[in-house]
Amino acid sequence: MSDPKMKFLVVDDFSTMRRIIRNLLKELGYTNVDEAEDGLVALQKLEAGGFDFVVTDWNMPNMDGLTLLQNIRKSAALKHLPVLMVTAEAKKENIIAAAQAGASGYIVKPFTAVTMAEKLNKIFEKMGK
Amino acid sequence: MTRKQKADESGDSDDLQALFDSIAAGASMSEPETPPAAAEDDPPAGGDDESLQALFDEVSSAFQAAQAAGEVPAGAEPAAAEGGGEVFNRIGQMARQVHDTLRALGLDSEALTDAVQGIPDARQRLSYIAHMTEQAASRVLNATDVAKPLQEKMQSDAQSLEERWNRLFGNELSVDEFKALAEETRSFLGQVRTTSEATNAQLLEIMMAQDFQDLTGQVIKKVVDLAQTLESELLQLLIETMPEDKRPARKEGLLNGPVIDAGRSDVVNTQEQVDDLLDSLGF
Repeated sequence: MSDPKMKFLVVDDFSTMRRIIRNLLKELGYTNVDEAEDGLVALQKLEAGGFDFVVTDWNMPNMDGLTLLQNIRKSAALKHLPVLMVTAEAKKENIIAAAQAGASGYIVKPFTAVTMAEKLNKIFEKMGK
Repeated sequence: MTRKQKADESGDSDDLQALFDSIAAGASMSEPETPPAAAEDDPPAGGDDESLQALFDEVSSAFQAAQAAGEVPAGAEPAAAEGGGEVFNRIGQMARQVHDTLRALGLDSEALTDAVQGIPDARQRLSYIAHMTEQAASRVLNATDVAKPLQEKMQSDAQSLEERWNRLFGNELSVDEFKALAEETRSFLGQVRTTSEATNAQLLEIMMAQDFQDLTGQVIKKVVDLAQTLESELLQLLIETMPEDKRPARKEGLLNGPVIDAGRSDVVNTQEQVDDLLDSLGF
């Protein structure tokens, strides 16, 4: 299990979904969570530093989740960050594109608390190796 | 999800599939250009295209009729041949315009293709919203149905224990009764823990059920976009195909600002004209 103090950034344009993910993370023991409503805001917050994990939606105004992911992977300071995509985009193209851009995990909405826990643990396992 | 089924029913699903395959296989970037061209050459045999064709025919013939009625009677015998040529040209230009408009609007425009395909899709999206909201409502109600009896039992057990503890503090209980009370209280604390866990799970379920808001929100936005696209394209079609003389006079308010076109007959250009107008009205 990973450090419960690790800091998450939850990126989604719907505040309901941000609250749901924040609550799920809390349920799993992670209380250090910040939020951003689109990729642009997220990138600014990430560049300011201090984050250990990104959970992002795909379809958002200003900057979408895929572009955010690509920017994270391009940045020397941020490229190591695990990025879990949580999105309603369920086409194979989407999943392939996200994987090719370097996503650490992919969850299709609607999802369950169990799925969230599984994917997070899988990412932590990979990080631990 | 329901909307995927619809996409499979559309005429060019083979093209889409091919496109997907080619991208997935890492094929060359020129591939994506193919499907729109294919759609133009080989329109799917759906009813929408027939009605578009019918619309084209109708509008086109209406134009020809209007033009013939408006232009041909004008002019004497010598001018008739010349006028006929002009009419022919104008009809040709009009037909070209209508054709271009329809093309621009649909036959090779992604916007209209999307819009036309979007109508059955919008219907499905709306039923998706109905389904998701209903599902969320029943998830929440089910969760409360589970949690409420648990809470009620815990409440009544706590109440009965409390009454017995009050009797104990009033020195009304025997030693055996006290022993039983202590034992029951101990087991009650265990029940509180498990019941709280169960209730907590139901609260989580209620929270997760709210995810419909994000999903339906996205779907609603798509349907609204579709309605706007359809409205503006239909309006554009109407404007561009309406004969000049049939256009209703634009309704103008009283705040039109300075006159830009001095040749207009419905405006005054000088103070003299203002005075004349007032005179004629008896002021």
